Amino acid sequence: MIELRNIAKNYNGTTALQEVNLKVAAGEIFGLLGPNGAGKTTAIKILTGQLKPDAGQAYIYEKNIQSHREDLLSKMGIVPENTNLYERLTILENLKFYCRLYNQDYSLIDRYLKLVDLQDFKSRAVKKLSRGMKQKVLLIRALLHEPDILFLDEPTSGLDPGSAAVIHKILQQLNEKGITILLTSHNMEEVDKLCHRVAFLHQGRLVEEGTPQKLKLQYSSSDIKIVYREEGQVKEKIFDMTQRDRLAQKLSLLITQERLLAIHSQEPSLADIFVTITGKELT
Amino acid sequence: MKKFKRILAIVLKELQDIKKNPNILIMYALPVFLTFLWHNILPVMEETVALSFGLLFLVVMVGMYVPSIMIAEEKEKNTMEVLLLSPATPLEVIIGKGLLTFLSIIMVALLLIFITGNQDGALFLIILATALTVIFAIMVGMIVGLVAKDQRSTGIIGMPVYLLLLIIPQTAGLEQGVLQRLAYLLPTYHYLLLLEKTLTAEITTALYLTGLGFILFSSLVILALLLYCYQRRGLT
Ligand SMILES: Nc1ncnc2c1ncn2[C@@H]1O[C@H](COP(=O)(O)OP(=O)(O)OP(=O)(O)O)[C@@H](O)[C@H]1O
Ligand SMILES: [Mg+2]
Repeated sequence: MIELRNIAKNYNGTTALQEVNLKVAAGEIFGLLGPNGAGKTTAIKILTGQLKPDAGQAYIYEKNIQSHREDLLSKMGIVPENTNLYERLTILENLKFYCRLYNQDYSLIDRYLKLVDLQDFKSRAVKKLSRGMKQKVLLIRALLHEPDILFLDEPTSGLDPGSAAVIHKILQQLNEKGITILLTSHNMEEVDKLCHRVAFLHQGRLVEEGTPQKLKLQYSSSDIKIVYREEGQVKEKIFDMTQRDRLAQKLSLLITQERLLAIHSQEPSLADIFVTITGKELT
Repeated sequence: MKKFKRILAIVLKELQDIKKNPNILIMYALPVFLTFLWHNILPVMEETVALSFGLLFLVVMVGMYVPSIMIAEEKEKNTMEVLLLSPATPLEVIIGKGLLTFLSIIMVALLLIFITGNQDGALFLIILATALTVIFAIMVGMIVGLVAKDQRSTGIIGMPVYLLLLIIPQTAGLEQGVLQRLAYLLPTYHYLLLLEKTLTAEITTALYLTGLGFILFSSLVILALLLYCYQRRGLT
């Protein structure tokens, strides 16, 4: 459904993407991860035909985006990285303008405003809205022409967990109705919860790809953590699975003395994988 | 039909936006205020001068400033991106913005004529010349908007152009040298001349058509330049 083939992109000297190959199937929620400057926005702009790649091709529905731009754009909804609403106009004026451009009636506006709980603010100028409200308006705007594919560039960055959760819920609902979603994010928790598959971009290259489960398994160590009581205190100890005998001894001792509290497998979070791959802490 | 609807959508959006944009509202108010002032409070000025200077100011300043800001602001705030991703073509965007500027300036021009009260039978001639000159000014403003990367730079790029087109025609009569010859190349000079002659009933058909011809010719030159800038830069 969405495909990047051997994409390379330079901005006068700076490499933004190189040899990027990516496929997203219909009905998926796909997460593109990477630190600042990894090339996420560049990838989205190539997929939406806003940028021409220096090499390689981008396809949507197996059609080249550059040669079928107009046709394909009508099927895409785009939530950009920066809030590009008309600040002096109200929410309603912004959304109605968009409907008129797409020759759509206004019926969807009210439905979506209710869905994101903005109907009481619809006559408020955009410049007087909070970041989260603006983000919701951007999402509604992207949906008004009933696209099949939704591109979201960091849809929840800067939002509080509550507002982010609202957006997540809507994205999930849309996906259940068959909309394919590609989003970029720094928020690993969000991606873990939301995305069927993810890919890591690092310095313009796609360095890892798969389901969150697969990646976690792949990057999991064989460590096991046990938690137990000792002299009135709670203690933890990590065992490598190669130390099987020592672990068995310790465990049987703890169990007979009724001091064992918990056993954890040491599954990495996507955030840990992110750090392993990129060598960068999340910000 | 859909094309027409989209252009109308852009016109309406710009109208809603202008109504809430004090910078632009002041630009529209300024020529009205000045004309009113010249006409009522400075009776030493010749009767016709208030209107012709008012119209020149309106056509040049507002005609260029408004479209340049409209385009540069959309680039600066990334809203141009939305327009270019929508079914609207760049041409429709430009026409929509130009149309609103054109119509609003003609309305204000009528207001100026009403304020000064001297219309007589010359109304049609004044409006026709004004309409043509506004189209010229709007295209110049659009070029400024295309070249500028944000609103601030429209001022820097636009200011010398405004001064050239506004000040030279007004001072040309005072001196017979270089300035006069330079002025002769400017459509705004011919516009001012047309206005003054029309308002003092000294206009002849030949004089009027020559002036109109100059304005039309300048507009064609500017249209070519606008197309060139658009080819080079697009709307981004
Ligand atoms: N218009 C531009 N001109 C020059 N270089 C650019 C431009 N846009 C992006 N770059 C560079 O290309 C690289 C990739 O940028 P991109 O915006 O795609 O990253 P990103 O993953 O979206 O980052 P972020 O998480 O900060 O949004 C960066 O090195 C950036 O500096
Ligand atoms: Mg980005």
